[in-house]
Amino acid sequence: MYRDRSEGQTSDEAVLVERAVGRDANAFGKLYDMHVDRVYGHIYYRVGNEADAQDLTQQVFIKAWQAIDRYRKTATPFIAWLMTISHNLVIDFYRTRKDRAYLEAEVLASDSGLSPERAAEANLEQQRVRRAILQLRGDEQQVVILRFMEGFEFAEIATLLKKKEGNIRVILHRALVKLRDILEKEVEQS
Amino acid sequence: MKKFEDILAQCIDNIKAGRCSIEDCLNRYPSLRKQLEPLLRVALEIREPPDVKPSGSFKVKARVQLMEHIHDRQPVTKWPWARYNGQTKQIPLQRRFSMVSIIVAIVLTLSAVGGGTAYASQASLPGDTLYQVKLSTEQVRMMMPADDVGRAERALSFAERRVEEMEALAEKGRLQHLGLAVEKYDDAMAMVSTKMRQASNEGLPTGNITALVGNATARHLSVLDRVFDLVPPEAQAAIAQARNVSATGHFRALEALAQVDPLRAVEINMAAMEGRLDRVRERAMAGDMNGAEAALQQFETMAEFGEDISGIGQEMGKDTDEVEELIAAATSIHLEVLGEVWEGLPEQARPIIEEAMARAQIRHERRVQALEQKGIEAPHPQLGPQLSERVRERVENMLSQTRPLWPTIPGGGTSSGRPCPSCRR
Repeated sequence: MYRDRSEGQTSDEAVLVERAVGRDANAFGKLYDMHVDRVYGHIYYRVGNEADAQDLTQQVFIKAWQAIDRYRKTATPFIAWLMTISHNLVIDFYRTRKDRAYLEAEVLASDSGLSPERAAEANLEQQRVRRAILQLRGDEQQVVILRFMEGFEFAEIATLLKKKEGNIRVILHRALVKLRDILEKEVEQS
Repeated sequence: MKKFEDILAQCIDNIKAGRCSIEDCLNRYPSLRKQLEPLLRVALEIREPPDVKPSGSFKVKARVQLMEHIHDRQPVTKWPWARYNGQTKQIPLQRRFSMVSIIVAIVLTLSAVGGGTAYASQASLPGDTLYQVKLSTEQVRMMMPADDVGRAERALSFAERRVEEMEALAEKGRLQHLGLAVEKYDDAMAMVSTKMRQASNEGLPTGNITALVGNATARHLSVLDRVFDLVPPEAQAAIAQARNVSATGHFRALEALAQVDPLRAVEINMAAMEGRLDRVRERAMAGDMNGAEAALQQFETMAEFGEDISGIGQEMGKDTDEVEELIAAATSIHLEVLGEVWEGLPEQARPIIEEAMARAQIRHERRVQALEQKGIEAPHPQLGPQLSERVRERVENMLSQTRPLWPTIPGGGTSSGRPCPSCRR
């Protein structure tokens, strides 16, 4: 099952967003409280360490505040908009990184009630998949993460990326083909 | 005919939603089996990311910095009292002079005509006619000569007034004006924070003011707890927001204090933690486990912050042995207090306390081990055998998910041979 994370904005949140667009810092602070965990989790998955995740999470909210006027023009949930800002910052982060340590970072799966052996195996599997996802091109990576991990609908992703829904499906298809190739290559090499 | 990517997307959705299996999907599109199957298997390997959450102290610090960024950088006046109108207002540079003129006019008006009115307004509450006069006199007081430490103190005194106003409004049942008092409290605490930071940047001694703010915010939290209990559920969100503001102010002040006097910072934090424990006990005894749980969460955030204070002290090159000893002694007492709360609860309400105790126990044992390595003895909590056993089980369960903190010694005990309370059977 997908994580049910793309549920529409509650009316409370819509009011806060409206106030934040009017430059109400208190309202924006409340939006921060509502979404900081999820933004951090998303970034942590992609950069693989606490210090960079914290730094980028802070930058996301600062950029969001600076650009809040532009949010008015989008029709996506506020969290989806924050995810796009996160994505762009993470892509910049990759560009400026000389090493690729973030690929090898061990981002452990949460406790799933599996036996220790099975849990270790599942973690290993997830590390492989994570590494492969992070080798995709920016838009492919974003579509895979937004769809499979963050649970956004195709229509929402299409609005965010300013593309047609059909195009998003094409990108997803292309991303899965690449993922298959990367994972197969890794198996062959090992 | 459907495009391949549409079929792929639909199959993935159906399989992930449990509406069909991979085989069902492949059977439905036999001609695409070869292309479809490996992509479906890859898609199903992609799981939700682990539920990693940022630490409480990071969230608080990042929020404070975000608010400071907003108030410092946005092209609006740095005069936060302008926000008494409910919104920040852009004030172009050329209008600043007229703003000064307004202040001068207020001063003149208050001193020449309305001295009595200004005095009378001091007892007014949000919603009263004279309340704006009260706020205006505060604006004027903020403009009086003083250094930034003095200004931080003034702003703190205004924050205390806002808390008193919330209490009075709740007692009088004037709930419609609570939001305004909360908003003004937020403004006053933001001003405290800004002035403390500016004072620090100017090299002024900030030890006393940060300690003052740390103590005051802990007091605010206790008063706000009472207010929270007084008001009906629909008004509780506003008070919860005010409590968040207090907690943020508390952490901000103690973080600054830790840089100059970590021991004092820990003492104040410990006192605040005891306030949270009192709240846990009071709510638990009243059968309000939601309230008890909320207070426990605040308690744990403060405990986590205590660890940060120690770290800050070390970074600043301070001797933190005394700090560590104090935390160990206090944690031992906290565990005993939680033990008392646990004793008085019905069985179904006990797990929340046990979980918190297990986490406190882990922190405590880590600290005790570190102190013992330096030859410093640390106290151990005295808990009843049944509770010790339950907490031990939870500790072991938590540790099995990470790495062991201390070796299990047959017969119970730590590696240093001292009795380990959580190991007692």
